Formats: sequence, structure tokens, C-alpha cells
Amino acid sequence: MAGVMLEVSSVYKSFSEPVLVDVSLHLNGGEVLGIVGPNGCGKTTLLRIMAGLESPDKGSVRREGKVGIVFQEDRLLPWKTLWENVALGLKYHGIRGEELTKRVRDYSSMVGLTDSDLSLHPRKASGGTRRKAALARALVLEPEILLLDEPFTGLDVKARTSLREALNWIWDEYGLSTVIVSHQLEELLPLADRVYVLTPKPARVAEEIDLRGMDLERRLERVKEALLRILSRSGTG
Amino acid sequence: MTRGGKEASRGHEIAFRAGRILASLFVLAIWISASATGMLPGPVEVVAYLLSMEPEEVAPQVLKTLYNSITGFSLSFLASMVLGLLSHRLPLIKGFSEALSEIFNSTSALVWSLVLVATLGVLSPLPPILVVAAVTLPHVLTATVSALSSADPGLLEAVRSVGAKPSDEFFEVILPSSVPLLASASRVGLGTALRISVVAEAFGSSGGVGYMIIRSYNLADASGVLAWSLVLIALVLGLDQLVLKPLERRARRWLE
Ligand SMILES: Nc1ncnc2c1ncn2[C@@H]1O[C@H](COP(=O)(O)OP(=O)(O)OP(=O)(O)O)[C@@H](O)[C@H]1O
Ligand SMILES: [Mg+2]
Repeated sequence: MAGVMLEVSSVYKSFSEPVLVDVSLHLNGGEVLGIVGPNGCGKTTLLRIMAGLESPDKGSVRREGKVGIVFQEDRLLPWKTLWENVALGLKYHGIRGEELTKRVRDYSSMVGLTDSDLSLHPRKASGGTRRKAALARALVLEPEILLLDEPFTGLDVKARTSLREALNWIWDEYGLSTVIVSHQLEELLPLADRVYVLTPKPARVAEEIDLRGMDLERRLERVKEALLRILSRSGTG
Repeated sequence: MTRGGKEASRGHEIAFRAGRILASLFVLAIWISASATGMLPGPVEVVAYLLSMEPEEVAPQVLKTLYNSITGFSLSFLASMVLGLLSHRLPLIKGFSEALSEIFNSTSALVWSLVLVATLGVLSPLPPILVVAAVTLPHVLTATVSALSSADPGLLEAVRSVGAKPSDEFFEVILPSSVPLLASASRVGLGTALRISVVAEAFGSSGGVGYMIIRSYNLADASGVLAWSLVLIALVLGLDQLVLKPLERRARRWLE
């Protein structure tokens, strides 16, 4: 579990204008890493680059294991049931029959999806259920690195609690190294071991904060301070 | 919605339906005034003629026209799928398809009919099918190309993130995403196909509603012309309202 699972080195990415500038960060084995930053600063782009879905213009990404990603918008196929959505990756990797059924069952129940949830189409399922299906779709491939983009956004309190329980269970059981992008600090900070605070677009790493040993109040205070600092800095500069 | 809103939308709905009924009455009124000149049989006469026709006389012609249009449309649909799929990858095919659409789009059904009947002969069953295929191709091809590029890039990325190969992307995302647009294109295309098929049938002697219309015309049987025209209208409307429209509506819910 020790060692660096994922390392981003001096990454630069531009679409029509620069989005990421000289971003370097790393994810340690077994760690839950938070990434926070202002709206639209480039967090999703950073996560997509980490997952290898987008390539950086400059710099590099080193991954020490398989990556699973859960998108901000779930991105489930609307014409398939949740069960079929969870099974997608297994099918693409040639896993079929009993093995497929077993894995879909195991990982779905791990995130708290029932058989009746799995028989639904996404449009009939609640936001929380859809988010869990997206999580199970990533987990069935047994990744060593899990990337979560705004996992709590758009969920009600009950669904957020239930998702947090599922994540805690997964970490206890598998010690999966995880990156969580979130601007919901109250949800993120109790879970994270460390956070990187990004600047407004183009995103640079403004601060790295080790949260271990701090209580929640202290964590919130530290991260909010850092966010205020970068916002006031970008306001004047 | 508020109660006022509900009432307003109910009023809206009633007015809308009234407008639809008015349109039918309007067409009927034109027909009646045209028949008042004495040059054209009126509705009563034509309906009486229709009722006097034997089902065994009408059915084979209707089936022939349906067969011509569906076969012709299927040909253009298949060709469009193949070209649309290849256009996705190959710029050569993309240019080819685009120009082919433009050329076909500027060629009239009349020209196709004459050329094909002259080439294949009046007795050949092929011209109506080929004319339908040629005339519907530009619309269907354009629609197919845009349908096949309508997939949500987010969904494509999501399946790629769990290991989808390009063929998985095509069959699992691109094709299913294109269902609603393909259904709309098919609805328009099949309606066009029926109307074009009768034009082509008129130039041959292999049967169909179009053949019956022109035959009645050549026999100076005006009631026959109008009766067979009504058969065609009923066919187009019936197919559209009873089959194609419900199918299109179902297809549209597919992506929700
Ligand atoms: N594929 C793309 N093509 C062009 N521009 C893009 C693309 N992806 C992102 N961008 C732009 O990059 C910037 C950062 O986007 P990104 O989605 O990474 O930010 P974010 O921090 O995740 O935003 P949010 O807080 O809304 O989730 C935005 O200005 C966006 O318009
Ligand atoms: Mg984002």
C-alpha cells in the first residue's frame, strides 16, 4: 500500500485558453486525496488527465495501477438498466457468465444497490441510486485508484450519508487510493487525508494541506482560509 | 402548473384541435367549389365510386405501392447507414456522400422515373423501387450522418473509461443514441416514399396506386382518378398517424 500510486508532474493543458498550468501532485497508496478549487477552474480536466482520458499538452502522469473514474454527471447509458450499466466494463474485458454475475452482484451490494434498484433504468432511479451505479460500474473492474468527480453534488442528505457509508466501507475493505474533487467541504473534509487547493482558471496548485490529526472544525477553517487567500489574490492580481 | 395555467393550456389544446378540423373542412370546401365548375366530380360522387370498388381490386394495388415504397426506402436507409458509418472515419466517403446527396437532391422524381423506365422497360417492377430509393436518399443520408454524430461525448468517454473498444462505442453508444433521429428521418422518409412511388408507378405498367390513377386518367375516368387519390391519401395518413408517429414518439423517449 505504501508508495506513490499516481503522480502528476508539471502538467500543462490548454483548450482555447490555458486550463492547467504547471500542476504537480501525487496520490499516496491507501490515501484519500481531496482536490478543491473555484468553479470552472479545471478540476474535471485534471481528473480526466489523471485517468488517461485526456492527454496533457506538457508534463506527464504516472499511474501505478488501474484507474476507475466516476463522473460528475453519472453518465449512465439511458437505454440500459443499472445492472447492465454496472456490467459494461466486464463485458468489454471479455468477462461473461457466472463471473460477470458474481462481480456485478458483489460490487453492487457493496455500494448498497439492491436487486430491485439494479433492474431500473437510470431515468427511473433516484440521484443517489444512479451515483452508486456509476460507482459500482467503476469498482467492478477492481481498480487500484479511484477518481471521484463531485460525488456528493446533487444528492439529498440521506443519499449523501448513504454514499459516504459505502465509500467508508470500500476504503476499510480495500484501502483503495482515492482522489475526490468536491466543493462541498463539509462532505469532503471528514473523508480526506490531504487536500490540494487550486487557483481559479488557469488552475495551479496554490496549497497542499495535510489534514491528518486535525478535527473537522480545524480542517474546515484551514481549507476555507486557503480558498479565501487565493480568491483575494486573484481579485487583486 | 397553476390552475390558471392548466386552464390556459386546455383552451390552447381545444383551439389547436379546432384548427386541425378547420383544415380538413377547408380542403373539402376547395374540392366542392372546384366541382361546382362541372370539370371535377364532387365528394359524394367519388365516395360512391370508392364504395363500389371491390376490396380484391384495391388491396393488391395498395400492397404493391406499400411494397415499392418500403423496399425503396429500405435500400436508401441501408445505403445511408453504410455511408454514414464510413463517413465517420473516412473523409473520402464523407465528401462522396455529401456530393451524392447534393446531386440526388437536385434531381427530380420525374427525371428518375423517365430515365429508369426508359432503361429497364415499362414492365419492370424495379423503377418505382429505385426512384423511391434515389429520391429519399439525400434526406435519409443527411439525417443518418447527423444522427450518427449525435452521441453525447460524455457517454462515449464513460464507456471508454471502462474499456470500450471502437466497435463497442459504435454498437453500444453511437447507434442507440441515433435511434430518435433515425426514427424521425424514417417517418419523413416513408411518407415521401409513398408519394414518390406513385409517380414512378404512373410511368410503368407494373401496377400500384399510381398506375391506377394514371390508368383512370387515360380512360377519362375523373372519379377513378380522385378515388385512387383518396386511397393514396388514406394510405399516407394512416401509415403516418397509426404506425410511424407512435413509433417516433416511443423512440424519442429512448434517450431520457
Ligand atoms: N473538452 C473541452 N474543450 C474545450 N474546453 C474545455 C473542455 N473541457 C473543459 N474545458 C474548459 O476548461 C475549463 C475548466 O473546465 P473543467 O470542467 O475542468 O472545470 P471544473 O473545475 O471541473 O468546473 P466545475 O466547477 O464546473 O466542475 C472551462 O473553462 C471549460 O470550458
Ligand atoms: Mg467539474
